[in-house]
Amino acid sequence: MVRGASAGAGRSASSSSTLSRMSEGGPSDPLARLGERLSRARPEQGRKPSVGGEEPPSSSIGFGFRIGIELLASLLVGLALGWLIDRWLGTRPWGLIVFFFIGAAAGMLNAFRAAQGLGRSGRPQ
Amino acid sequence: MAGPKSPLEQFTIERLIPLHLGSVDVSYTNSALLMTVAVVLITLLLVGATRRASLVPGRLQSVAELSYEFIAGMVQENIGHEGIEFFPLVFSIFMFVLFGNMLGLIPFGYTFTSQIIVTFALSIFVFALVTLVAFIRHGIHFFSFFFPPGAPVFMAPILVPIEIVSYLSRPVSLSIRLFANMMAGHTMMAVFAGFTITLGVFGFFPIGVNVALYGLEVIVTALQAYVFTILTCLYLRDAIHLH
Repeated sequence: MVRGASAGAGRSASSSSTLSRMSEGGPSDPLARLGERLSRARPEQGRKPSVGGEEPPSSSIGFGFRIGIELLASLLVGLALGWLIDRWLGTRPWGLIVFFFIGAAAGMLNAFRAAQGLGRSGRPQ
Repeated sequence: MAGPKSPLEQFTIERLIPLHLGSVDVSYTNSALLMTVAVVLITLLLVGATRRASLVPGRLQSVAELSYEFIAGMVQENIGHEGIEFFPLVFSIFMFVLFGNMLGLIPFGYTFTSQIIVTFALSIFVFALVTLVAFIRHGIHFFSFFFPPGAPVFMAPILVPIEIVSYLSRPVSLSIRLFANMMAGHTMMAVFAGFTITLGVFGFFPIGVNVALYGLEVIVTALQAYVFTILTCLYLRDAIHLH
């Protein structure tokens, strides 16, 4: 029954398209006309400012998780860097100590940038 | 880890086809199998959808077109017009991570994105690529990225190391985020599934929780694939536009 209805709708749509083809001027093929309109619309779509839909539907738990990971990752990288520098230069405790604090600072920087919004990561503009 | 079935047991790597290349273990594991499945499924989906492309898309073609439009919009919006040359890369990353996450939700499947080495390999690849692109585009000027514009020069000894560590932490945070989300979700489901047996008659309650968790996990899989992809885009934008 649904199938019959949709087939009927398709038939009426095709008959109306033949009607419009007869009445309008321009390219006779409706597909060509559609392509023309699409190619006109495409650049405009690219230029329009972003709609709000790009922000992810992040929950507060996910957000907290993200901040925590930013803090942790920078701290880990700082510690690893300090440890490596100690191994290369033989400055046993000092590289680790200094880079611990640098890592912590970088973690807070990253957390701050993350808190400014996922859509604007990197540096504040 | 007590008991015969640990909730972490689902993450064990099994060698399906043991292979050794010199002293390196290159066995074909269950993780590798699921990666192959993901790649094959993605290829089948996209090839199948575009082979019989019609003006009014069918179901399969709609899925392919939707994912294409979604990623194309994301690239356009976050990187800009010149970012479209990175579209194949970004699209591949998105589909691979999404399918990896989703395949883990199928019973008896395996989540390869719950292995940190997999996510780290993905993110270190993105990181290396982004750094390379930045070097190619800007040459030596790339190092100005590590000094915030407008900051007093005498702050450089403090700011530059902080910025470098912050930059180097990108692949780490990118990989930990994906891996931790996947692993936490799957562990949680396994823990609740374990409660089902121990609670006996009241086992229906953990089952109910697991049904809800499963729904949540479906969201998380898509969301984490999205987050991984959009961060890739943002890093690429940083590399192209620098400041």
